[in-house]
Amino acid sequence: MLVARYTLPAHRAAFLLGAGEEADDVVQEAFVKAFRHLSRFRAGEPFGPWLLRIVANETRNLTRSRRRRAALTLRLAAPDITAPDGPVDEVLAVERRAGLMAAVNALPDRERQVLVCRYFLDLSEAETAQALACPLGSVKSRAWRGLNRLRGLLLPDEQTRISSG
Amino acid sequence: MADRAPWLAAAESELRAVARELEVPPPRDLTAVVRQRLEEHAAPGRPRWRAPGRPRWRAPVRRLRRRAVLTALAVLAALAVVVIATPQGRAAISRVFRFDGVELRQSQSPGPGQTQSPGQTQSPGQSRPATGSASLPGEQRMSLAQARRQVSFPILVPAVLGQPGQVLVSDGGRVVSLVYLRTRYGQVRIDEFAGQVDQIYFEKIVYLGNVTKVTVNGRKALWIKGPHELVYLRADGTTAEAPPRLTTGNTLLWGTGRAALRLEGEFGEKTALAIARSAH
Repeated sequence: MLVARYTLPAHRAAFLLGAGEEADDVVQEAFVKAFRHLSRFRAGEPFGPWLLRIVANETRNLTRSRRRRAALTLRLAAPDITAPDGPVDEVLAVERRAGLMAAVNALPDRERQVLVCRYFLDLSEAETAQALACPLGSVKSRAWRGLNRLRGLLLPDEQTRISSG
Repeated sequence: MADRAPWLAAAESELRAVARELEVPPPRDLTAVVRQRLEEHAAPGRPRWRAPGRPRWRAPVRRLRRRAVLTALAVLAALAVVVIATPQGRAAISRVFRFDGVELRQSQSPGPGQTQSPGQTQSPGQSRPATGSASLPGEQRMSLAQARRQVSFPILVPAVLGQPGQVLVSDGGRVVSLVYLRTRYGQVRIDEFAGQVDQIYFEKIVYLGNVTKVTVNGRKALWIKGPHELVYLRADGTTAEAPPRLTTGNTLLWGTGRAALRLEGEFGEKTALAIARSAH
């Protein structure tokens, strides 16, 4: 069944786009809507992107209806710094990624959503535009602005703030 | 973006690396619940009710070949009814249902005030705007006769209330609002929009426990008790610039097939139904 095959990516998308713990509800609603609108689904078209579009739309509705910023604080699964004895490089990398995530979390919604689609969900620019229901040009410009804001954190010389473990 | 700076490539690869480490909780297995939602309403002989003026799935049905698709579509048309019938049972999994151009979303608490986030609370004086002050995009005041020429659907006026104090046409003739500034029930507002179009005009954040199914002139209607948040949606599905407003009093939603209406004011269910029945 389609549900089993597509639940995981759909859930990941809903979660990362801001549904948070309500991602399961969003995905469920999206599946039901997808089946409801099967007549609009053209044979041969991949089901995944189509479903994703519905998921993104549902997530948008959800965040709008709860009138909260779409942003949910995304975290890294790896514990922050639990291995103070580990190699310095590793500690630095972990710190830097935690800093990067904090910066991503702090981005304006629209830029953040584009980066989530492009890099966390690995969508193309065109798929991102579809999912977020915005023009391709906006995807490009928001991605660029978002990346630009993260620029300082990503440069190697931005390590002075890190004190040694 | 013509010449890609090295930092850009570094940023992209760093983000992709981070993506693999993101903490995402495991999804619930939804196969059963989705199947249940698709199948549960397919039982033969079960009374079904479809929202009036919404035969959307009929036309494409002929072109569809697979029986499964047919079943899914037919089944889903009946979904909204069940949600209303058993609000408690469904609340957990169905936050949304649609009724005649209005989309209802479940709010977490019975009182709308509690769902507001502190940052978005309006100043005390404005926290409950008067019904008539709700502005829809492109709102224009005109006479009833002028309004009738501007919109594509018949404008109904409840005989019980008589001629409205104000007639407002909004969003290029998409919505007509009749405002009665002083009635026995305080200020009363009726928003009317086309009934047979598959579009969402308003989104309501309601507590499903406050929603009951009623009948107006033989057609299904919804009675929503208590204030709730109301958002106007434009034809492209985006929200109008105005923030969600809190409705006053209670609300009745009903349709006539060609027009869909929402009546809002500080009256009880019986009065609302009497007003609705008198609308011609």
